[in-house]
Amino acid sequence: MSATPVDDVEDTQDERLSLPSEMTALLAVLPLGWAAQLIATDLSALRAAAGVLALGLIAVIGILLTRALPFLRLPSVAWVSLVGIVASLPMLPWGEAVVGVVGEIDFLALSVPCLAFAGLAISRREVAIAKTSGWKLLVVGVLVLIGTFIGSALIADVTLPLLE
Amino acid sequence: MDRPADLVAAWRLLAVALVIVVLSQLLGIRRIEVGIGTILLLPLLYAFLAGLVLNPSITGRVGKVLGRREVRLASPLIIVAILPFIARFGTTIGPDIEAVIAAGPALLLQELGNLGTIVLAFPVAVYLLKLRREAVGATFSVAREPSLAIIADRYGLRGPEGAGVLAVYVVGTLVGTIVFSVMASFVASLDVLDPRALAMACGVGSGSMMAACSGALAATLPEMEDTILAFAGTSNLLTYATGMYVTLFVALPLVEWMYRKAHPEDTRAAATPAATSDEEGAR
Repeated sequence: MSATPVDDVEDTQDERLSLPSEMTALLAVLPLGWAAQLIATDLSALRAAAGVLALGLIAVIGILLTRALPFLRLPSVAWVSLVGIVASLPMLPWGEAVVGVVGEIDFLALSVPCLAFAGLAISRREVAIAKTSGWKLLVVGVLVLIGTFIGSALIADVTLPLLE
Repeated sequence: MDRPADLVAAWRLLAVALVIVVLSQLLGIRRIEVGIGTILLLPLLYAFLAGLVLNPSITGRVGKVLGRREVRLASPLIIVAILPFIARFGTTIGPDIEAVIAAGPALLLQELGNLGTIVLAFPVAVYLLKLRREAVGATFSVAREPSLAIIADRYGLRGPEGAGVLAVYVVGTLVGTIVFSVMASFVASLDVLDPRALAMACGVGSGSMMAACSGALAATLPEMEDTILAFAGTSNLLTYATGMYVTLFVALPLVEWMYRKAHPEDTRAAATPAATSDEEGAR
């Protein structure tokens, strides 16, 4: 993704952090997730902190793997997801303990900080693109989202019964 | 983040985000009945909208709470903040791994659901709205980061195809979470499609779209929450692994072919990068 035309898009969209900055940022956002848990669940402050920290640790391992294996070109979300799967497999010795710690963490509340940053991060460039591309492309954009969702759901709905 | 001004900006950004998170979470989930279905309003939607309202790029400097420096810092934090959430998703897949593997073929096939965007959006774009080459970039995929890379590589981002993919990318960023959560809760409340199928469909977009979509699904069908998360998470993982190949080797050639059928007179070679002298390029 080093071709010049992409650069100015990535400049606003996907600023790469150094490893220390990424770790600091992760440490800084975890309390937000913890605060959301305290409101959303009945967990004690300590239990919620343990769950959020365990998820933070999975994220750290995923970030380290992303950087250790750059040639696989998998984004960090894919690595973190894979680490989360391996951490919670019931046939592995640590599986039940991990699920015990993170299982009560409310995933919906955990997504709230991310969406807050998403709203705060919309840049002038993106507002400008939305304004100049005109209403036609905005209509098409919404249809694209709907079409992808319905398309996937229909295919899955048809294929799932065939497997049972 | 090592200059003092950046540090102050970072603290201010985090404080604002904390206030947004707490208030959104206190508001909680709200239900709106609309005739045949239900729409759910979720804390993550309030948080997104509150972020927009406080964003100086959107509303000017509201009360001078945040400036451009804070907006720049917020961008990398989206990815960092979604990682604990993705980790939580991963930990729902592990305990359900046997069900996920049993549904493997369905999970792989639904990546072809990307083609649904072509079926729905391409005819509207080309025949109804009379878009030209923009339609190719706009309708070949759900336009997340990998799609930007594909278009940049094939045509360049400054041509009409680039304008198309960028516009849809921005629409997805601006309203994707809203569209996905409203659509998911509504379709789920109709009770015509398998909830597992809807969960898989939640995974086709970005991480925050998946959050909004599967959150709305799980809130509509709380008794299936674990299954929904496992299937949405796996689908999202596969989107990175296999979805890109579907868009590159199936969707893009298909859209090119359909465009040539619709506009046989448009002889501009597909591989010509960024020649923007024709009428729609000058828009």
